[in-house]
Amino acid sequence: MARIVVLGAGISGHVAASHLRRKLSKEHEVVVVSPNSNYQWIPSNIWVGIGRMKSKQILFPLAPLYKKKHIDFKQAKAMTFHPEGDQTENKPYVLVEYVVGDKKGQQEKVTYDYLINGTGPKLNFEATEGLIPGQNKAYSVCTYTHAEHAWENLEALIKEMKQGKKAKILIGTGHAKSTCQGAAFEYILNVEQELRKHKVRDMAEITWISNEYQLGDFGMDGMLLSYKGMTMKSHEMIEMVFEDRGIKWILGSAVNKIEDGLAHYENLDGEFKTETYDFAMLIPSFSGHGFKAYDKNDQDITEKLFKGFMIVDADYTPRPYEEWSVQDWPETYQNPSYNNIFAPGIAFAPPHAISKPRKSKNGTDITPAPPRTGMPSGITAKIVADNIIDSIKNGKESLSHKGSMGNMGAACIASAGYGLTSGSGVSITTFPIVPDYNKYPKTQGRQLGKTFGEIGLAGHWLKLTLHYAFIYKAKMKPFWWLLPE
Amino acid sequence: MTERISKYQRFKMMNPIIQFFKYIYLSIKVLVIVAGGHGGTRQVN
Ligand SMILES: Cc1cc2nc3c(=O)[nH]c(=O)nc-3n(C[C@H](O)[C@H](O)[C@H](O)COP(=O)(O)OP(=O)(O)OC[C@H]3O[C@@H](n4cnc5c(N)ncnc54)[C@H](O)[C@@H]3O)c2cc1C
Repeated sequence: MARIVVLGAGISGHVAASHLRRKLSKEHEVVVVSPNSNYQWIPSNIWVGIGRMKSKQILFPLAPLYKKKHIDFKQAKAMTFHPEGDQTENKPYVLVEYVVGDKKGQQEKVTYDYLINGTGPKLNFEATEGLIPGQNKAYSVCTYTHAEHAWENLEALIKEMKQGKKAKILIGTGHAKSTCQGAAFEYILNVEQELRKHKVRDMAEITWISNEYQLGDFGMDGMLLSYKGMTMKSHEMIEMVFEDRGIKWILGSAVNKIEDGLAHYENLDGEFKTETYDFAMLIPSFSGHGFKAYDKNDQDITEKLFKGFMIVDADYTPRPYEEWSVQDWPETYQNPSYNNIFAPGIAFAPPHAISKPRKSKNGTDITPAPPRTGMPSGITAKIVADNIIDSIKNGKESLSHKGSMGNMGAACIASAGYGLTSGSGVSITTFPIVPDYNKYPKTQGRQLGKTFGEIGLAGHWLKLTLHYAFIYKAKMKPFWWLLPE
Repeated sequence: MTERISKYQRFKMMNPIIQFFKYIYLSIKVLVIVAGGHGGTRQVN
C-alpha cells in the first residue's frame, strides 16, 4: 500500500490527485492538503473582475467531491518538509497546520511514500511597497475574492464616469520580475470593452504598464507567429490590437512603489517616473512560499529542496544568456535529492527566465519571470502522477513519462471581451513554450505552423468552452479524463 | 484611437457564421497542438 500526499488543490495538485485516484486501486491512499476549501478555475477570474461572472460560477467546494472519490482531504497548509522523517518518525513527512474547524491551529505530521508539491506561487504583493489588493486604488484579479473586489470598485468608477468624471486606468505588472502578463492583457482588453458597453470609453485613458521589453513578450521572449497567412511578430500583433482599442503602453518598467493613485516605476533607461491612476490592476511578483526542510537530525536542508521554488531535474548552473539551452528545462519534475518528491505546475524552480534578461541603466533587473500557465501546469501534474502510478505498479522507480516545456505546446486563449455575440478573444498557440533554437533556428525557436494567432468572436467562444469543459473535468464528472489537460 | 483593424476585417472577426467555422477550426488546431504530445528534450545515450 502506498500513500501519496499532494500539497495544493489548484490546477496541478487537483489534476495529479484526480489521475492518481482514478488509476490506483483503493488500497493506495491519496491525500490532498490544501488551505483552500474551494477549487477555483483561475482563468475565469478575468470575467469576475468585470462583473460578467459571479464567483460561484468559477468555483466548487472540494470536500464533498474528495469524499465521494475517496480522496482524503485535509484543509491545512504545509509548514515544513521532513523528507527523512525525524528522531521519532521513521517515514518522511510534511508538517501541516489545519486552517479551519475544530482542528484549526493544530499541527500534524502527514507521512508519505510519494509527495507532490503543487503549491503554486505565493502572490508576493509585499515585494512592491504599497501594492496591497484593494488599497491605494490598486486591485488584483489573481483570486476570485480579489476579482470581486476589483469589479466593485471598477463599477463604482464607471458610475462616476457616467456623471462626467474623466478617469485613468492602469493595468499590467506590479513588479520588475512579475509574470502572468497574459492575465493582465486579458483584463485590460475586457475592461476596455466594458467601458465601451457602458458608453464611457471616451471618458477613460487606459494604459498598459509592463516589465516586458516589447508588447507581446508574455515572459516568453515573444514569438514569431502565423497570422492570416503572414508571419508576424507577437509585438506587432499586440500593438495592432492596442492601437485599435486606443490603449497606450509603457514598457520595460519596474513598478516599485504604489501610493494612493500613484504608481512609481523605473524604466530600462534608468529614469524614475510616476503614473497617476484612478483604478489599477497590477500583477504582483510570484515567489516560493518560503518553506523550510529538515533532515532526520533536524538539520536545515532547505537548499536541497528549494531555490525559492522547489528544485527539480533542471540544470540550474548559472550561465550567460547566450549559453542557455532548452535542455536546461526539467522533464520529470523530480527532486534530485529525494526521488519520491515531485513539483509540477508553478511550484518548480525554473532554471532561468525565457525572456532575455535586461537591466536598467541603474542595474535593476527588469525581466519577466517565465510563465507556467494552466495547460503546462496540468500536463506536468499528469506526467508526475503517471510516473508515480507506474512506479507503484511496477514496484520500482519508473520515469518514462516526460514533458519538458521545451517540447510541449500551450494555447493561450486570451479573452478580449465578454459577450456571446459581441465578445472577442486573441487565441495564440505556441510550440514549444521554451524556444528551441537548435531545432527551429530560423523561426525564433518555435514551429511556425503550431505557433499562430487569431482574433475574433470564435476566441471568446473557445475560452467559454474551456471554462465549462475544465470545470466539468475538475468536478470529475463521467469520462472527465478524456478531456486533455 | 487608430483604426488598425479595417471595417471589413472587423466584420469577419465578429460575424457569427464565419466565426462558427473558425471556432471548429481553432478547437481542432488547439487540440492537435496541445494533445499532440510532449516529451523530453535531452538525448538518452
Ligand atoms: C488572473 C489569472 C488568469 C489566468 N488565466 C490563464 C489562462 O487563461 N490560461 C492559462 O493557461 N493559465 C492562466 N493563468 C495561469 C494559471 O492560473 C496557473 O498557471 C495555474 O493556476 C497554476 O497552477 P498551480 O497548481 O501550479 O498553482 P495554483 O493554481 O496557484 O494552485 C496552488 C494551490 O496550492 C495551495 N497552497 C498554497 N500554499 C499552500 C501550502 N502552504 N500548503 C498546501 N497548499 C498550499 C493553494 O491554496 C492552491 O490550491 C491565469 C492566472 C491568473 C492569476
